[in-house]
Amino acid sequence: MKRRDFLKTSIVASAAVMGTSSVLSANETHQPNDRRKVSNMAFPEKRPLITYSDRPPLLESPRSTFARGITENDEFFVRWHLPDIPTHIDLDKFSIKINGMVKKELEVTVAELKNDFEQVEVTAVVQCGGNSRSAFTPTPGGVQWGSGAMGCAKWKGVRLSDLLERAGLQKGAHWIGFNGEEKAAYYKTPNFVRELELSELDDHVIVAYEMNGEDLPYLNGFPLRLIIPGYYSDSWVKMLSNITVTDKYKSLFFMDKAYRVPDNETEGETPDHLVKKTKPITHMNVKSVIGYPENGMKIYHNSHIVVRGVAFDGGHGIDKVYVSVDGGKSWDRAELKRENGRYAYTEFRYTYKPTKYGKLQFMAKAVNYLGDEQPFAKDIPWNRGGYKYNGIDEVTVEVI
Amino acid sequence: MKKIILIASLLTGSLFAQVKGDIEVPYISYQIKMGKGFDSVQANCLMCHSFGYILNQGPQSKLFWDKKIDKMVEEFKAPITKEDHKIIAEYLFKHYGNGKLK
Repeated sequence: MKRRDFLKTSIVASAAVMGTSSVLSANETHQPNDRRKVSNMAFPEKRPLITYSDRPPLLESPRSTFARGITENDEFFVRWHLPDIPTHIDLDKFSIKINGMVKKELEVTVAELKNDFEQVEVTAVVQCGGNSRSAFTPTPGGVQWGSGAMGCAKWKGVRLSDLLERAGLQKGAHWIGFNGEEKAAYYKTPNFVRELELSELDDHVIVAYEMNGEDLPYLNGFPLRLIIPGYYSDSWVKMLSNITVTDKYKSLFFMDKAYRVPDNETEGETPDHLVKKTKPITHMNVKSVIGYPENGMKIYHNSHIVVRGVAFDGGHGIDKVYVSVDGGKSWDRAELKRENGRYAYTEFRYTYKPTKYGKLQFMAKAVNYLGDEQPFAKDIPWNRGGYKYNGIDEVTVEVI
Repeated sequence: MKKIILIASLLTGSLFAQVKGDIEVPYISYQIKMGKGFDSVQANCLMCHSFGYILNQGPQSKLFWDKKIDKMVEEFKAPITKEDHKIIAEYLFKHYGNGKLK
């Protein structure tokens, strides 16, 4: 190998590590990075996943998980903000505290949650606001997620509204802050506290202790986690231990600076002209991802392939999913399986018989009941945080 | 009465319970580039996060890395001295930069 060739190869290799590619045209949003492989190291209660960091743990689910409507607990993505996560929780001692502008302060153990309140279940997608961030150019700061910072589980717990009712809200109560047990290395670092307006919290919001019929895995927030169906996961506080009701909004780093997008119609901006007014990311937009086949797979000529994937939005529900095999010129309806309600993954399935040899590209596009449909990746404007990517998904296979 | 309590606890118990005892999050040794300023990176950054967090930001501009360190100091209250700030920014831009100043 000539030296120049060697240099070229090593540049390509390091680009793959860094999550970018030199062939992409400038400032155009593209498909998220799909080249990362699961690591050879498993984290507690997890299978090996795509691993970005051990402290705090950042783990991504592989594409194969999008072939099913429910994501297994041991394949579910993991995202923490602060380095110090309790590695042991004694359920006899753990309790969730409800305080602030309440008539009666409460301390509720997990056993009391299970026994003294109505038990409810909701199946809901949880997705990081920065999921698919690697699709944006120039590279926004933050973890360069592929498509796998999301999953869908059946959550069981009690309604937040029932807990608040038990405590009783004082007159003037307006905001509610949620804090979990993750801790920073420095005492002065702000806690990962989320604040929501009481009016945002409907009966679908629950404090969950169970995920797909099992206790929550530690890395997904054992023993209690806030579930806000339809919302991005930044407010789904893990290891939830404190709920504080207030009348005024408290200025918080994780609310005021992180997880925000431009407050304009397209939610877009350019690196040279950052938009001043921003808003929290809140509700998820419509999105679908193909789970099978995967990029680079080989498929036999004239065989029947069943394309599978999942689609979801912020709770309006998925009306249609379309698949294209001609680069988006024509679209065909996929079959849908809606089993778990409007906050869950809707599974889609599309059978296709490849009659030509060579490269074959599948595209998937979801439309929700409002008529919102996924845009092509290239039509998604950039934003500094790399949030809310929902481009039409593409998978290219080879017909042999 | 005893029987009723037993049934109640069976009903509320999960199908599979949580692991016994404590968990241990594995340590990953990231391949980070050696060079001038690495000692400052190790001393300051590793307190709060792994090298993986740095490597997975993607290649970034000098301004980006400068602002990132500002954020660590101003928002996250990391005690990074002005001197170390400069050294770390230069190290990050040299090894994990995109060649652009801003």
